[in-house]
Amino acid sequence: MMLNLFDQFMSPTLLGIPLMLLALSLPWVLYPKPLKRWLNNRTLTIQSWFINNFIKQIFLPMNTEGHKWAMLLTSLLIFLITLNLLGLLPYTFTPTTQLSLNMAFATPIWLTTVILGMRKQPTHSLGHLLPEGTPTLLIPILVVIETISLFIRPLALGVRLTANLTAGHLLIQLIASGAYFLFPLMPAVALLTSTLLFLLTLLEVAVAMIQAYVFVLLLSLYLQENI
Amino acid sequence: MPQLNPNPWFMIMTFAWLLFLIVIPPKVLAHTTPNNALPQKVVCSRTESWVWPWY
Repeated sequence: MMLNLFDQFMSPTLLGIPLMLLALSLPWVLYPKPLKRWLNNRTLTIQSWFINNFIKQIFLPMNTEGHKWAMLLTSLLIFLITLNLLGLLPYTFTPTTQLSLNMAFATPIWLTTVILGMRKQPTHSLGHLLPEGTPTLLIPILVVIETISLFIRPLALGVRLTANLTAGHLLIQLIASGAYFLFPLMPAVALLTSTLLFLLTLLEVAVAMIQAYVFVLLLSLYLQENI
Repeated sequence: MPQLNPNPWFMIMTFAWLLFLIVIPPKVLAHTTPNNALPQKVVCSRTESWVWPWY
């Protein structure tokens, strides 16, 4: 019974064909490519507005060199937020619950920021390993601690997104099965459980958007340190 | 936990990155925004009245 709860996260296959390919490629149908016309339809206007506001928000504190990353970080945000939100619909699979996917994005991009920093301004990048104003005796320990925290960053990024989404989906499944099984036995309690389920779903919508934003925001912060 | 099954890890990584590099950037880059109009540069030209006949 316990293990059945995690079955929803198995990578779906149908007769040996991995359905992950469908789960990853079909959401982009929702993003039509704008043509060269000045007045677009509502869908494109909303998407343009969203992309512009996101870019202004993220790249305002960054120097000009970092603005080259706008396309990469915007694409990443669109990717994550779409997959997260679509996964809240019933009978859909959320690829971002897979640790493989989140680590596949976190590790290379984080490594890029570190390597860029080491190549362009090695002293400045290494300087981040020692906070300003530390007492002289604490310097060796603190450098070790800061190095460990540097290397834990990609792991934290990937696991944060995976864990948040997995926990949310698990809770939704648990509470929904609770409400379903309680309904013939104790309808009043089932009603309360359903209210809880509704509020939880609202929370999960918020979490889906916030976690995608936090992922990209943290990557932009790591970039600001190193560029 | 089925997420820790290493079998489809490489396939998921490759396919996700392929989509992320090939499909999404053209859609994102195609969103262009026009520059904001500057109200000072507006020139109201004086037009003359209609002096030629209809036909």
